[in-house]
Amino acid sequence: MTSVSLSSFDLAVPTEEHKMLRDQVRAFARDEVEPQALEHDRHERFNRRLFEKVGELGLLGVTVTEKDGGAGMDATAAVIVHEELSACDPGFALAYLAHSMLCVNNLAVNATDEQKRRWLPKLLTGEAIGAMGMSEPAVGTDVLGLRTTAKKDGDHWVVNGRKMWITNGAVDDERTPCDVMLFYARTGGSDARPEITSFVVQRGTPGFGVGQKIHDKAGMRGSNTAEMVLEDARVPADNLVGEQGGAIKCMMRNLALERVTLAAMSLGIARRSIEVMVSYANDRKAFGKPLNEFGQIQRHIAESYAEYMACRAYVYDTARRMPLDAYGNRLDSDGVKLVASTMGKVVADRAMQVLGGYGYVGEYVVERLWRDAKLLEIGGGTIEAHQKNMTRDLTRGPFPWA
Amino acid sequence: MKFLVTVKRVTDYEAKIKLKADKSGIVTDGVNMIMNPFDEIGVEEALRQREKHGGEVVIVSIGTSDSTDKIRSALAMGADRGILVKHDGPLDSFAVARVLAKIVDKEKPDVVLMGKQAIDDDSNQAAQMLAELLGWGQATFANIVTLEGGRATVVREADGGLETVSTTLPAVVTTDLRLNEPRYAALPGIMKAKKKPLEEVEIGSLGVDIAAKVKTIAYEEPPAKKAGQKVADVASLVTRLKTEAKVI
Repeated sequence: MTSVSLSSFDLAVPTEEHKMLRDQVRAFARDEVEPQALEHDRHERFNRRLFEKVGELGLLGVTVTEKDGGAGMDATAAVIVHEELSACDPGFALAYLAHSMLCVNNLAVNATDEQKRRWLPKLLTGEAIGAMGMSEPAVGTDVLGLRTTAKKDGDHWVVNGRKMWITNGAVDDERTPCDVMLFYARTGGSDARPEITSFVVQRGTPGFGVGQKIHDKAGMRGSNTAEMVLEDARVPADNLVGEQGGAIKCMMRNLALERVTLAAMSLGIARRSIEVMVSYANDRKAFGKPLNEFGQIQRHIAESYAEYMACRAYVYDTARRMPLDAYGNRLDSDGVKLVASTMGKVVADRAMQVLGGYGYVGEYVVERLWRDAKLLEIGGGTIEAHQKNMTRDLTRGPFPWA
Repeated sequence: MKFLVTVKRVTDYEAKIKLKADKSGIVTDGVNMIMNPFDEIGVEEALRQREKHGGEVVIVSIGTSDSTDKIRSALAMGADRGILVKHDGPLDSFAVARVLAKIVDKEKPDVVLMGKQAIDDDSNQAAQMLAELLGWGQATFANIVTLEGGRATVVREADGGLETVSTTLPAVVTTDLRLNEPRYAALPGIMKAKKKPLEEVEIGSLGVDIAAKVKTIAYEEPPAKKAGQKVADVASLVTRLKTEAKVI
């Protein structure tokens, strides 16, 4: 029998590889990501050059198998990368997530070898930018109600519809679309039981373009968000990913990983906020003593730390149990995002409160984190969607502890 | 060409350092430990030289098994294999030099690359002592390293400017801050690092005298900095530098 030393096991860095990964991404984030964050937030601009550097580090294929040109790491590794990038720049981390988790990982799991050979190499270096199109102008949480349709016409599918809130959909301010968008469309069925299929559309396909780049986002401004238009877009039949009508499972599996990595982003936001408020409360004095000697401030600090650590344990434990190629754990992937997103928002808010006026301006970082944190209660599933799904799973049972 | 690069596990330069109550050393519990940054520059230099000249990059560290992860970091950057000389407890620079001399005898590298100093005790001695023990040439504080025709030509950072020195190979070279910018280990490198050979050698098996020649009496914190003062003009600054600070 092999014995596991529980006292030395660290959920957040379970192996030497995870430790090295965390150290490297933390150093990279500190030296390369942090210095550009405020500027790119201010100008609502995605840092393409930095993204390519992330590609050079091999991070764009963190969960892709070595056979397909990736690093072959697990969900825990993906969580580590998102937490570390988010501690410096959640907006940039969101662009990373849309590319590496929603597009690249989805293709790595669901596409054929021939398709992977066509799309993955450039996506893994960052030469090509990837996105995923699911939400529509009138359909978000109610994803099975999507209205985009694809109709077979010879060796093409003719696609019509619009996709909304697409992170990385546009790569610049000139409405240039991303290189590769994986998207979901109805290929048949009824309104009650729609047949949903996933496809890849590439830049240059007639009828595929950017409707508008979304401006004036409260946060996550280091990533581009766009409305994408498919108007009689002719998508080659060999761009169909998986089985016709078989996209729901692929979608759900990939969304579980999305939620866990979004929860990881909230961890990064919270951790940084705690560091900033602790340091400030130590240095700043009021009435002749440091802020950290005031009970009101102590409550902000202590509660933030405890809530962060609780979420951290839940997120890393869920990641540890999450297979990348099997149907995921919906209850807990919803659960971690439900608690971590609000925790991140609240902790960023407390940090701002501790910093007072300084917290309200960009230079002191938490103002940006505070704006970014809110998106995580909305994107990748609203907290209301998590509540709905979790209650349904818990009602059907069995309880996970049964 | 064969490169032997030394790597020391040291406290993070961003960590807040606290002394032990009995002043026998610093508290390392809960302090993040990193690869000595000058050693990291040494690893990078060896990798770049290997790209030019071919050969092998061997990493050596002395310490407990905790140092393994710093050797693995160097392997993840691209080094070929590692050697951990297992030892628990302090070693003075001369003991380190004697241990390294033994490893050099065995490995026979063309160049030993070392950080100019470790950022924990800042001794800046082991490399010079090693060169002396081996009877090799040495070039310290390297800013540019050129290996050609069996010689190392090194532009070194000296007080007041740069100085060029040249020595035959094999030689000991120590790295200064501006020699290069170390790469981040890419993910494929991290995944490969575990499969690379890492040999563990008990320090006792080397037959080297590691008895301390330098005795550490106590560690003390540097005196706290006094608050600065503002002066009205240059004239009063000069006066006070003369009469109070007595520096001019």
